[in-house]
Amino acid sequence: MTQQNNPDVRFLMGNEAIGRGIVEAGCTVAAAYPGTPSSEVLESLVRWKKELNHPIYVEWSVNEKVAFEVAYGASLGGVRAAAAMKMVGLNVASDPFLSAAYLGIRGGLVVVVADDPGPHSSQTEQDSRFFAWFAKVPVLDPGTPAEALEMTLRAFELSEKYQVPVLLRPCLRVCHARQNVSLNTPRPAAYVGPFKKDWTRWAAIPKYRLKLHGELNEKLARIEREEPAASPVLLNEGAGNSIALVTSGSVSSHVRDIVASDERLQGIDVYKVDLPFPANRDALQKIVDEHERTLVVEETYPVLELQIKDRRKVTGRLSGDVPSQGELLPELVEEIVLRVCGKEPVLREAPVVKPRRPSLCPGCPHRPAFYTMRQVFDQAVYTGDIGCYTLGINMGAVDTCLCMGASIGMAGGMSRAPFTEGQTRVVATIGDSTFYHAGVPALVNAVHTRARFVLVIMDNNITAMTGGQPTPAQDFLADGSPGVAVDMERLVRGCGVDFLEIADPYDAEGMKQILEKARSYAFDDDKGVAVVITRRPCVRAPKVELPSDRFEIGEACDLCMSCLRDLECPAFHYVKSEKRMEIDADLCAGCGFCVQVCPSQAIKAKGA
Amino acid sequence: MAELILCGRGGQGIVFLTRQIGQVLSAKGLNVVSSETHGMAVRGGSINSHLRIGGFFSPLIRAGHADFLISLDATETDNNKHYLKPGGLIVENSTLAEEPGIKRIDAAGLARELGRVQLENVVLLGYAATLEGFPVTVEQIRGQLSKEPREQVRSLNLRALQAGVDAAA
Repeated sequence: MTQQNNPDVRFLMGNEAIGRGIVEAGCTVAAAYPGTPSSEVLESLVRWKKELNHPIYVEWSVNEKVAFEVAYGASLGGVRAAAAMKMVGLNVASDPFLSAAYLGIRGGLVVVVADDPGPHSSQTEQDSRFFAWFAKVPVLDPGTPAEALEMTLRAFELSEKYQVPVLLRPCLRVCHARQNVSLNTPRPAAYVGPFKKDWTRWAAIPKYRLKLHGELNEKLARIEREEPAASPVLLNEGAGNSIALVTSGSVSSHVRDIVASDERLQGIDVYKVDLPFPANRDALQKIVDEHERTLVVEETYPVLELQIKDRRKVTGRLSGDVPSQGELLPELVEEIVLRVCGKEPVLREAPVVKPRRPSLCPGCPHRPAFYTMRQVFDQAVYTGDIGCYTLGINMGAVDTCLCMGASIGMAGGMSRAPFTEGQTRVVATIGDSTFYHAGVPALVNAVHTRARFVLVIMDNNITAMTGGQPTPAQDFLADGSPGVAVDMERLVRGCGVDFLEIADPYDAEGMKQILEKARSYAFDDDKGVAVVITRRPCVRAPKVELPSDRFEIGEACDLCMSCLRDLECPAFHYVKSEKRMEIDADLCAGCGFCVQVCPSQAIKAKGA
Repeated sequence: MAELILCGRGGQGIVFLTRQIGQVLSAKGLNVVSSETHGMAVRGGSINSHLRIGGFFSPLIRAGHADFLISLDATETDNNKHYLKPGGLIVENSTLAEEPGIKRIDAAGLARELGRVQLENVVLLGYAATLEGFPVTVEQIRGQLSKEPREQVRSLNLRALQAGVDAAA
C-alpha cells in the first residue's frame, strides 16, 4: 500500500473513496438522501466532479426511495448509476429495491448503503447484508477506505456482468475512517445503448415476474459458484491450523490487527469474505470441516454464519459467543478471539466514561421554538421526528421518535386515543427536510381524516444534522447548479391545511401568540390540523451572519436555574465555587432569547 | 508506528487536526488510518479521533495502546485516558500546571489573544509538534497549513501554529 512520492495519494474518508470510485467507474448519474454515516458519499462526488471537471449528474433526492428510482431509471437508460443512503434509508427505498432485483438492470447500478453498528447516529443496528439477502441482491463488504474505492469499481463490473443491482455495504468504521488511498484516472462514461422496449421485463405482470424470479435465482447461483469474491480468502500465511476465523467488512480490519499483534494468535487461519451474500457455501463448509473450530466474527447479524450448513463446529452469534447487539469494538473482538483460542484475556483498566450529552447548538432556532411550545402546550404529548430537533428530548418537548415523517402519522393516531388528565393534546414537530422527505403524505392523511393536533414545522432552511445539505426549498442543486425552489407554504396549503402561520422562534412573545391561536384552532374549536412554521436559518449554515451581541448575568439572578433546565443552552454554566451563573462568551451565539425569557430579568447586553 | 487519540467537544476542530496530520503523513508515503465522530455525537457532545501510523488496517486504537492523547478539553481527558499505553503522554488544553505524564498549554487563551478561540486546535497542534516522538514536525504542519487557498484563514492558522510552538520554547 505504501506509495513513495506518488502525487495521487490522498488521506481520504471512506465515503470520499466511494465517491471517487463512483467517478472512476464512469458513472453518469448519482442520487442520495443524506444520513449519517453515508452523507459524504454524494458531498465528495460534488467535489470530485468539480476537481476533475467531470460531467456526472448528482442530486440530493427528496428521499431514498426517489434516489433509488432516479438511479434505476438512469440504469435502464443505459448508463452507470449509483444511489447512496444510510441503512434505514434502504427501508424507505425497499419497495423499488426488491422489485429491481427481479427486473434486473442495464447500465451498472450500485447502491451504497452505510450501516451504523453501535448505533452511533441511527434508530437501528440492522445489517444491510441481511437486507441484500432478503432482496436477493449481491453485496460487497469493504474493510477499509482503500478497499471501499476498489470494491466500488468491482461493484459496477459485477452489476453489469450479472445484470443485477449490487449493494455496497460500508460500516461506519469504513465510512468515517480515513486512510492513504491511491487515485486512478476515471474511465470514460460507460453506456450500454438506448433503452429497448420490452414490457415482459421492464413492466412485467405477475406471470413474467415468476420467470424473472427464476432468472434472478440463476444469476445468484452463478455468482456463488463463479465469483472469487464469494469465497473466503486466507489472509495469513501458515495454514493447516486447528482454529479458523471467518470475517468480513470493517470488523475484519480489527481482526487482522489483533491477530498480527499477538504472538499467541499467530496460529489462527484468518479468512475474509468480500461478497458475503451470496457466499460460496461449499467453500465455507470446507473451512469448517477442515478445522477443529471455526469462529465467525461479522457485523451485525450472522449472515455468513447462517450460510454455513453444518454449524456444529462453529462459534459465533448463533452459539451465543459473539454478542447479538452493539458494535464489535477491537477490545471486544480481542476478548472473543482470545477466549475461543483458550488464551488468557488482557486485563484493562475500566474507562471513566462520563460523555457529555449532545445538545442543540447555542443560538439554534429550535431551542426557543421548543421552549415556547412548552410554555403554551405544557403537558401535551409531543411526537417528534428525525433530525437535530430530536434533541428537543433534553427540553421535554420530544416524547416519541420512530422514523422519518412518523411525527405526523403518529400524531394522527395518538390524537384518537384517550388521554389522562393534563395530557389532553398532541403536538408534532418535524424539520423542513424531513417534512419534504416523508411528512407530506402523512399530512395529507391527517387533514383528510380530520385529525386534531398542532404541527410545528421547524424550518431552518437546511438539512442540518447531516452537515447542511440543501432541501427542495432551495433554488440550487447539490453541485450549486440552478434548481426550482418548492415553496413550503404552498406545499402545506396543497395538503389541504387551512390554519397556517409563520413564526420567528427568536421572538418569544410573537411565537407564543401564534401557538395560542393554533391551540384554539386545533383543540378548543376542534377544526383539525393547525400548522405553524417556525422559521430561522441554522446557526451553522454557511453565509448565516450571527449577531455580535453578547450578554452577561446581572445582580438580579436568583439562581432559579431555568436557563440550564428549561432553556438548556450550552452557553450557560453554573460556577459552583462562586455560586453564580455565567455565560460563556466563546459559546454564546448572540440570539438574545434568554434575555426575553429569564424569569428574574437578570440577563442584559454586555456593556449596557 | 505511532498511535494518537485526539479528544474534545464537538465543534473544537478535532477532525481538522486529524486530517492535517494524516495528509502530511500520506504525502510522505506512510500508511495512516484514522477514525472520526460525526452526526448526532458532534452536537456539542464528547468526541474523539483515532489516528494510527504504520501497518494497521483497523481505524480504532485499542485501550492501552496510544502513544499520545491530545486533549482540547480537560474534562474529556478522563474519558479517553484508558486508551493511553503505560508511559504514554497527555497533551492538554488547560490553564493548570504541568504534572508528570501531562503537558499542558493554555491553547484557548493564546487563541483568544489571536482574536478567535476557534484557533485553539491549531495552537495545541503547534505545541504538540515540538514534542519528542510526535509523528509530524512543525515544518511539515506549517507546509500543510500553507496550502490553504483562503489568505485570511491561512494566515490565522499559521499564526496560531507559531503561538503553540513559541509556548513550548
